[in-house]
Amino acid sequence: MKIHRHRGRVGLLAAAAALSLVLTACGNGDTDGNQDDGDVSGELTMLTPIYEGTEGNRLLEEEILPAFYEEYPEVTVSVDYQTYGTLNEKLTTAVAGGLIPDVMMMGVGWVEAFAANGVLAELDSLGVTAESLAGDYTPQIVAGGTVDGSLYALPIMLDTRFGCARMDLLAEAGYEQPPASWEELRDYAVALTERDGSGTLQRAGFDMLSMDLRQMYEVFLFSAGGSLFNEGATEPTFNSAEGVAALEFITGLMNQDQVEDIGFSNTDADVHPLLNGRAAMAVCHNNLWIQLQEAAPELADQIQPFLINGTQPGMFFGGTLATVSASSENQQAALALAQFLAGPEPSLAANEQRGNVPALTELLDSGYVQGNPLVQFAMENLDVAQREGGPPQWLEIRGDFSPAIESALLEQKTPQQALDDLAEAARAAMGR
Amino acid sequence: MTATAPAIRARPAPTAAQARRRRLLVRVGLHLLLALGAVTMIVPFVWMLLTSVKSPAELASFPPTFWPDEWVWSNYSGAMQAAPFATYFRNSLIIATGHTLITLLFGSLAGYALARIPFRGRELLFLGFIAMLMIPTYTKIVPQFLIVRFMPLSGGNDLFGQGGSGWLNTWWALLIPGGLSPFAIFLFRQFYLSLPRELEEAARIDGLGELRIWAQIYTPLIKPAVATVALLTFQESWNNFLWPLLVTTRDELRVIQVGLAVFQQQENTAWHHLMAGTTLATVPMVLLFLLAQRYFIQGFTQAGIK
Repeated sequence: MKIHRHRGRVGLLAAAAALSLVLTACGNGDTDGNQDDGDVSGELTMLTPIYEGTEGNRLLEEEILPAFYEEYPEVTVSVDYQTYGTLNEKLTTAVAGGLIPDVMMMGVGWVEAFAANGVLAELDSLGVTAESLAGDYTPQIVAGGTVDGSLYALPIMLDTRFGCARMDLLAEAGYEQPPASWEELRDYAVALTERDGSGTLQRAGFDMLSMDLRQMYEVFLFSAGGSLFNEGATEPTFNSAEGVAALEFITGLMNQDQVEDIGFSNTDADVHPLLNGRAAMAVCHNNLWIQLQEAAPELADQIQPFLINGTQPGMFFGGTLATVSASSENQQAALALAQFLAGPEPSLAANEQRGNVPALTELLDSGYVQGNPLVQFAMENLDVAQREGGPPQWLEIRGDFSPAIESALLEQKTPQQALDDLAEAARAAMGR
Repeated sequence: MTATAPAIRARPAPTAAQARRRRLLVRVGLHLLLALGAVTMIVPFVWMLLTSVKSPAELASFPPTFWPDEWVWSNYSGAMQAAPFATYFRNSLIIATGHTLITLLFGSLAGYALARIPFRGRELLFLGFIAMLMIPTYTKIVPQFLIVRFMPLSGGNDLFGQGGSGWLNTWWALLIPGGLSPFAIFLFRQFYLSLPRELEEAARIDGLGELRIWAQIYTPLIKPAVATVALLTFQESWNNFLWPLLVTTRDELRVIQVGLAVFQQQENTAWHHLMAGTTLATVPMVLLFLLAQRYFIQGFTQAGIK
């Protein structure tokens, strides 16, 4: 069944390629026609942390690239598969060695650093602008590929984080809907927390530890109306009153309300605690649906996503974007490949393979999105989603986040102290 | 008045039976302690084996089960299909074997020279090797990468290392930079130092040159060192992940650890496949240890490594 669907996808990809070519040609009619496939040629190298494993390789090399080659027969692509865990090292050594791949996939929040170092091509000069993407993506997603008003990256897929609830457990406690505010979240979490006679936690009312602490905190920061940095990304703002309130709420849940104990779960847990009933609610990733289908398909109707509402709805998004090397000798071909991969059918296929959220707004109606409640929820709420990143030093700064959040959770520092110290470290990094 | 000193009563010597009982108690206690240590060591390994045959649904259950309810052997075939493991396995084997052979040959030669051949600057050179032990691996990665990238007259590079890609994407990059470690040289030197000088003198009287003394007299006497260095080198090389990933771009040159990384995505780990793949990846190391364990233990004991 699956094989048939994939075979069918080849045709769709070819059609998409044709459409992509037509759209590109139309869109760039006034930019000396540099996207005419007659001019697009060369041997390209591509670095990617997605399309991994046999299934991902097969998707890229047997479906997506052949469809690309149909439209650009003078282009060949050799692919370097990486993981996100090693991508930074690979990019760093590639830059140091002067062998920068023509097309590079990287995460939201990474673009600023590599753009600042002159590694990435400004796509505006190649005929693709942030304005031209405005109709296809939400403004926040376009902003993830934009630095100082210039476009450097095309979005392919998103990773989102939001609240998830086990509705069967909520129903047992008399709740029919997920919490609609921080206050309700606290009340629900307290009511849903279960301990045995000796006080050992049996079920967390609200799990915060299965998610990377930085990303978990950012969901609350955004829902408190806070931001990581100011408008020009020149000054950290996560230690503002909103940021402190968010961290105080989290530490309150953990230490005063005791809806979860330190060490109860972690990011490497065998299975998400929502799936085995060890938690009633949690901050979760859209990828939870993939785990659910494998481990607990009977819960498909019981997991319900919700936005965490403070002063505003909070949702976090990261993701993978395609960029073009500033030093590429075949920039038009590289741009054509990046655009093709970010196009509807190839990006939909890539998202489906990883269980991620398509960045293109039009894909909300696709069968994949409609069949995955968490992805669908994420896409329907992308207008409130906010991203991380800002200054070029973000990759350095972000590593300090989790220890700072941890120090507040462990009550080694007050939330204000933890965030002030973190802001100081961020300022030092930004000043270097 | 006479004071009588208290009589010093000799402790009665333990009977043979008491001594035997005490020895037995000590031995039982020791064995219990060692058994506890052994169980502590082996539980993670057993857990890995058992996890590798559990279904995702069983892995999700809480409390976790120790014995699988159902033995899902298809996890192994599933894991093997998730990445080109045959290629990765072959590459890991070539690289680990290559590193081991290079280390044994050149490491023992260098260790022998530092231990047994007096030459000017020998101590300084040895201190240099010791200093190299202190340098963290991560700090060496970029300089090593640049050396490989700008290797003259390779991969299209000219004499000055420009114009091509050097050793990148070649077996040279995989085999040469990690081929010899200062630790191996240090270990060999210590072993060669422990051998009696008389052997060397007798060999010289018999007319043997340095190479033959190294090959025929001294090296056969340090088999434990050879086994120890071989196993440690093979293991380190087998587990290497980052370097092969940095210097290659093609799947045909990638290693087994890269295959295992496929099961760990950012937000989702396929534990059943990861444990099946890891079990398969440990097989060569376990076999190697079983074959060489006698020498390996001797080597560790003599070198005082813990």
